[in-house]
Amino acid sequence: MDLFLALELIALALSGLLVWHSASTRGAAFTCMFFLGGAFLGLARENVVAQVAALNLYSYSPAAFHLWVGAAPLILMVFWSYAIYLALTFSEIIVGGNLISGRRRVWVLLMSMLFMAAYACLNEAFASMYPMVLWKFKPALTIWGGTPAMVLWGYAGMALIFLPATLLVFKLRIRIVYRVMIFCASVIVMIPLHLLWIAIFRLATSAIG
Amino acid sequence: MNSRDKRPNFFIREIPLLVLLVFWVIYAGIEVIRGRFDILTSVIPTGLFIIAYIIVRLVAKEQKGRD
Repeated sequence: MDLFLALELIALALSGLLVWHSASTRGAAFTCMFFLGGAFLGLARENVVAQVAALNLYSYSPAAFHLWVGAAPLILMVFWSYAIYLALTFSEIIVGGNLISGRRRVWVLLMSMLFMAAYACLNEAFASMYPMVLWKFKPALTIWGGTPAMVLWGYAGMALIFLPATLLVFKLRIRIVYRVMIFCASVIVMIPLHLLWIAIFRLATSAIG
Repeated sequence: MNSRDKRPNFFIREIPLLVLLVFWVIYAGIEVIRGRFDILTSVIPTGLFIIAYIIVRLVAKEQKGRD
């Protein structure tokens, strides 16, 4: 079996474990909302980024990935919720907080952003080897393998946008099915916010470059 | 009884650590094989989180044992 296909399947299986963890420790309502919303966000965002040329960001290498949904690899269906769920869980344990109940919420959020930046280091160093991502622009600031430095900022920003959105929708006093639908629909707000977050970094670093 | 009322077993509780460790080892392993191993970018940042997580878990266990 191709190494990359094996990795895609392992990632899907590990995501299943995270869903199990979430359902056991946070309940079915949170789990449905978080992972379905993450799937919508991943597939919608990456299709937008890969297909809208005006954004001038990146597309995914057809040589690396095997399973696709439109212009986005299938693995993106679980990638963002997977990464943010790890960020949330590690941060809650480390700072002794809880995003939903409100205990040390700001610290949980900040630590989650830091975790996402750290995870970006691991993931993007790996991604630059194949390469998994084909960059469409020449970045002003690069890190290992020519990867734009904005990826650290971008990953952190995803936690900053996704987690408060999760909290906001989860706290609504309506039936869970409506909360899930609202959260999935909220990706149309989250995606432009995240693209704006990245644009701020690109604008700031273009002056340096 | 709600599933959250019961404390999950050790395996379920530590799934996030297991998942991160599996990916951490796979990524670093493949980078070593392909000669692109970069300890600073690949291993240290996430590794610090893993160490912090384990320390917090151990300290909590120690305190629980004392109580």
